[in-house]
Amino acid sequence: MDYSIKIGGEAGQGIQTIGDALGRVFVRAGYHVFSHQDYESRIRGGHNFYQLRFSSQPLAASRNKVDILVALDRESITRHEKDLTVNGRIIYDASALKFKNGGPAFLDIPFEKLALEQDGDKIMVNTVATGAVLGMLGLEPDLILELIADTFKNKGDHVVHANKNAVRAGYEYARLHCDTCTFAVAVDEVQQRMLVGGVESIALGALASGCRFYSAYPMTPSTGIMNYLASTESEYGVIVEQAEDEIAAINMALGASYAGVRAMTGTSGGGFALMVEGLSLAGMTETPIVIAMGQRPGPATGLPTRTEQGDLEFLLSAGHGEFPRVIFAPGTPRQAFHLTNKAFDIAEKYQIPVFILFDTYLADSQWTVDSFDLNQVRYIDYRLRGDAFKNQQHYRRYAYTETGISPLAVPGDASHVVVVDSDEHDEEGHIIEDAATRIRMVEKRLLKKLPLIRTEIAPPDFYGDQEAHVVLTGWGSTYGIIKEAVDELAKSMSIAMLHFSEVFPLPDLGLFDYVSFLRKTKLPLCIEHNATGQFSRLLRAATGFEFKIQINKYDGRPFTVEELIGEVHDRLGNI
Amino acid sequence: MDMTSLRHKYLRHDKKFPHVWCPGCGNGIVLGALLRAFERLNIDKDRLVLTAGIGCAGRLPVYVDLNTLHTTHGRALTFATGIKLANPELTVMAVMGDGDATAIGGNHFIHAARRNLDLTAIIINNQIYGMTGGQYSPTTPYGARAATAVYGHIEHAFSIAELAVTAGAAFVARGTVYHAAMLEGLIEKAVRKRGFSVVEIMANCHVQFGRRNKMAEPVAMLEWFRDHAVSAANANGIPPDSLDDRFTIGVLADVEKPDYIAEYQAVREKAKQ
Repeated sequence: MDYSIKIGGEAGQGIQTIGDALGRVFVRAGYHVFSHQDYESRIRGGHNFYQLRFSSQPLAASRNKVDILVALDRESITRHEKDLTVNGRIIYDASALKFKNGGPAFLDIPFEKLALEQDGDKIMVNTVATGAVLGMLGLEPDLILELIADTFKNKGDHVVHANKNAVRAGYEYARLHCDTCTFAVAVDEVQQRMLVGGVESIALGALASGCRFYSAYPMTPSTGIMNYLASTESEYGVIVEQAEDEIAAINMALGASYAGVRAMTGTSGGGFALMVEGLSLAGMTETPIVIAMGQRPGPATGLPTRTEQGDLEFLLSAGHGEFPRVIFAPGTPRQAFHLTNKAFDIAEKYQIPVFILFDTYLADSQWTVDSFDLNQVRYIDYRLRGDAFKNQQHYRRYAYTETGISPLAVPGDASHVVVVDSDEHDEEGHIIEDAATRIRMVEKRLLKKLPLIRTEIAPPDFYGDQEAHVVLTGWGSTYGIIKEAVDELAKSMSIAMLHFSEVFPLPDLGLFDYVSFLRKTKLPLCIEHNATGQFSRLLRAATGFEFKIQINKYDGRPFTVEELIGEVHDRLGNI
Repeated sequence: MDMTSLRHKYLRHDKKFPHVWCPGCGNGIVLGALLRAFERLNIDKDRLVLTAGIGCAGRLPVYVDLNTLHTTHGRALTFATGIKLANPELTVMAVMGDGDATAIGGNHFIHAARRNLDLTAIIINNQIYGMTGGQYSPTTPYGARAATAVYGHIEHAFSIAELAVTAGAAFVARGTVYHAAMLEGLIEKAVRKRGFSVVEIMANCHVQFGRRNKMAEPVAMLEWFRDHAVSAANANGIPPDSLDDRFTIGVLADVEKPDYIAEYQAVREKAKQ
């Protein structure tokens, strides 16, 4: 069983409300869910959709085909009717859309009339539609009724009651009139699962890592991290500050980090352009910081609500001067959670900036996750605090050490001072000009740390046939799409996926020689959501391996599994 | 405590001197006032953090034996904000110049005032970019000459203190390096005030500003401050538009209102209920 539901309409019509409610019901019914959204940069109007897939098997991407299309506007029908499966159905409100189609796939459900009849108002159209979808699927309404009671409990009995009736009305109407519906869904063996998106997973990873300070300026697609953390401020004691701009945001986070807490900031490409100065300061002062960088298509404002992997090279070279950095690019919510944790650990351990490089597609898509494995969460306090600091004879913030890592003390804990300077400095942190100190500091800050940092980087994920002829290589958010494409294509060819989520520095070849593997493959392909293949260029620069054939998409939309399969087929002639 | 003892207590006297400032620079007077204010405040040195931006004023913390951060240009207040939010127990001050605080850091400055977090901003206003060679700053007066205004400046200066008042600072004072004895009191009051406090200090840059504007000797500039400063207490009767090139000194605003941390704690309590 594997069904997809698409809800289409204008911004402001409540597409997300329906999608979120259905998603939660399917999770409570024991299914795996994957959802993604496609929306415009506007608050009202336009055309948006929310696609929701559920199955008894784990899911990692959306499919093109749609079993139920909930059309809240005419455009939903004209755009998405072609995606309908053979037995698929379109539900719509003919009187509201002022449009009628008597075709067998169409089911007119008077959402508005049913909503108004339940002593409610037009806003409850969403609730009726949700009930109707469940009615068509034949999934018992108990779960949604429970959910409504939870969701609206603060709004009073009347609202709960009216919404429950609206769900029932939609449900009954669909049961009665969709006599040719062949969907059959029952409550599966119920397991505790979460439905989480990319930004929530990053935020949860930060909380699990003991992040105590987050400052940012709102920018899609990173804003969700700030919203989520702000909503949990009183629970977890994280301080969230909305700064006046991104320059302030990163510097505030650096200030908090200097003061002794784990600190983070988040932004998108345009905002990160303003942060670059602060990044370099983090590099010079060796102040730990985690930066969540959510890519969207640029240049400039670009396509604000859409997706791209166009900022990898920007991050690789951002910041004047030479200093170490690490870039992680999670492909799933689970990776987002654990890599955020790893980002904090490495930032604190080596006193460097670490990036979580994600994009709109990962930010907005939701997956079912059994749970995050808290036993894998790493928390070591690398800072010199309290008595340990007090008992130091002499303290020098930038003391030369074998590893290049100097003791990072918390100011105020002892009578030693913690001196930091953005100018070149000596071991005590005092500004200097002499060449000898400069050389030793570059060695300490950069050259000694680099080989140690490399040992922390895990090899790429390998999935599929060990002797594969065709290898689909990707990084970041394309994980699920590539994996599902491999599952499909494996039925007809020898194929595998190579996925990098720890992208800089690239993993050493000691544990897994992915370069030799790629060299012996007949058709290695690199798949990226950008125009020029930034990751393949990085791989070539670091290892000498060159992808002769790349699959690039830069229209601001993610690949669908079917599209990617088509792209791979188009290139099989190159074997 | 005499000045020699103060120097021993608060300066990195054995390491960082001689300083980088030009002979006769007003920044030394500010530094002296700052040390005397520290002594009056009697704050544990370890609980005091001094941040600074870039420029001649930004070099001041380099000489002080405290927890100091010599950050990037214009960002001292953002750093200070992060420190204070992460550890409200610390006393956090930021030392900036006029270009640092109100040009490149202007946005941070007005928002720090609006936010009303308990920080103290010491802004040394020498009306010029000194370290880069005498370019005009947001406080260079109309008509004055600068490296980038060789025929006279055609833009108008704004008043840092009035900007701070309008933006919502809880405490705003202005002094000059001529009125050196007054400075330590203003700084002390500013630090004691719970909320965002600003002390604007008019200081002489006779080398970059004075030399181009017929005041090449430090004394000429100090005399200019003497002749143009009007005590805020005495200025009440004078309409602002007849102050001309005179300016007020003293405490210009002292507003009672809950600071950011108090508001933050209140909202957290509310959220828990």
